[in-house]
Amino acid sequence: MTQTLLPSQFSDLEPLAEKWAFATQNQREACRRARTPGEIRELYDVLLTRMDAILDYLNQFTLENMPPEAQRLMYLTFALAEVAPYVECYNSNPWVPDSFEDIRMVAVHGERVG
Amino acid sequence: MAAPVVDLNKHWSLEYPDLGTEPVPTEPCISSEYFELERERVFKKVWLYVGRVEEIPNPGDYLMKDLPAANTSVIVARGKDGAVRAFHNICSHRGNKLVWDGSGSCRGYFSCKFHGWTYNTHGELVNVPDEEMFHNFRKSKHGLVSVACEVWEGFIFINLDPQPTQTLTEYLGAQGERLSGFPYEAMTASYFYRTELKCNWKIALDAFSEGYHVNYVHGRSYPDTFTGKDNPMCHLPEVRLDGPHRSCVVYGNPDHKPSPVAALAYRFGESVTKRTAAMEQLPPGVNPNRAREFAFDIAGLFPNLLLHVLPGMWFTHQFWPLAVDRTLWEGKAYWPAARTPGERFAQEFNNVVLRSAWLEDTGTMEATHQALSSGVKKYFIFQEQEILIRHSYKVLEEYVGFYKKNGKNAAKKRGKLQAVRTT
Repeated sequence: MTQTLLPSQFSDLEPLAEKWAFATQNQREACRRARTPGEIRELYDVLLTRMDAILDYLNQFTLENMPPEAQRLMYLTFALAEVAPYVECYNSNPWVPDSFEDIRMVAVHGERVG
Repeated sequence: MAAPVVDLNKHWSLEYPDLGTEPVPTEPCISSEYFELERERVFKKVWLYVGRVEEIPNPGDYLMKDLPAANTSVIVARGKDGAVRAFHNICSHRGNKLVWDGSGSCRGYFSCKFHGWTYNTHGELVNVPDEEMFHNFRKSKHGLVSVACEVWEGFIFINLDPQPTQTLTEYLGAQGERLSGFPYEAMTASYFYRTELKCNWKIALDAFSEGYHVNYVHGRSYPDTFTGKDNPMCHLPEVRLDGPHRSCVVYGNPDHKPSPVAALAYRFGESVTKRTAAMEQLPPGVNPNRAREFAFDIAGLFPNLLLHVLPGMWFTHQFWPLAVDRTLWEGKAYWPAARTPGERFAQEFNNVVLRSAWLEDTGTMEATHQALSSGVKKYFIFQEQEILIRHSYKVLEEYVGFYKKNGKNAAKKRGKLQAVRTT
């Protein structure tokens, strides 16, 4: 199977995409839970510096009309969305401290693609 | 024109003196007897929100909702004529549950998996296998049992009372009028979480009905979002109590400093944390002064719905009692359908922010129930800013009549007896 790669100007992000770019929220949540604070912080730090360029590139497309490489890049931005509060509020902890057990809070939309 | 000055230190009990200021019994959260009365006198009697019209857009679409709080299950279906109807989810033949899936399209007919009895979306029995073997049988006499069903602003409500004493519009009253006219139907991108909580439904409802907890439960996530220099304790700028329903405004700090990723997301969409000037989307009765210090409006629609409205999005919490100590909680957020990747990214982030807060909120509930069930603390001590909860217990008791039935001071007496026994 050929893996879709990121658009060439973002090819340096390929290792992060392999680890973090997933199509559904359930996958993104499971991924975040399985990562260390160091990995979470790395994704955040690297992506944040590129987000202006990434969003400029992605926003040439509408959601209905995206080439697969752009879609994969968008999924990577969703990983940033997934971890952002964990970095910005919870010290890069993969869990919300002092909270309800998050695997018990089920995303009914969690299998939706995109 | 100068903005009207909002009193952020209002003593709401002075506005609503009938509610009193006394401690409120904890017994309704842990008493099985109270729970059974809630079933009979509340959940089987009043209008209950069960879904949005967008969930069943086409003829033949249905949703099924189990309602242990009322010892039943209902089917809500859109008929060929486009009308939305509700029925008890029970086959007329031998009482089997008719529909088992949560939602979908029935293609016009519901068929019981036990013996194949088939009904149309109007609830009429249209086919019975081996019909000639039944006695003096007329299909027309054995349709599904109808449930009162009405739609307000796209919100589908049902009422299990065979003869509801009020229409939905009458029931929602002033709060229904106030919350009408918001473009709910234009915000269909939904993010939906659910969980079963081991606590009474009111413990969950109460935790979302005040701002006093914000500095503590959300100290990490919302350090400057709902509190500010002029409002360090997240006091409520507005409170309204209308019959069984209630609402308040949650203060938004105009000087809130967004985090780096929040600042990115704010470019492409709205959020509970974003301070926006785009108030014109709100109905006139929501944030009537168009104050900048507005995060969102919370309406508590009796008994178990919280509806939150703000520019660019809306969200709900719903609390379905399963047992005196078990609750199905549902949290749903709605944005306009994203058109661009940037908008979709913003929604993803804003949704994760909400989810994190909800994980913080739900974090206290089970421990609270467990502690209360010890019976050690007989009363809640509510302050001025927790007036919505005080109102909730008062209204509930008006429906339930537990203390009326057990004598006016029964709770107090029991408390005293307990105190005597333990000394």
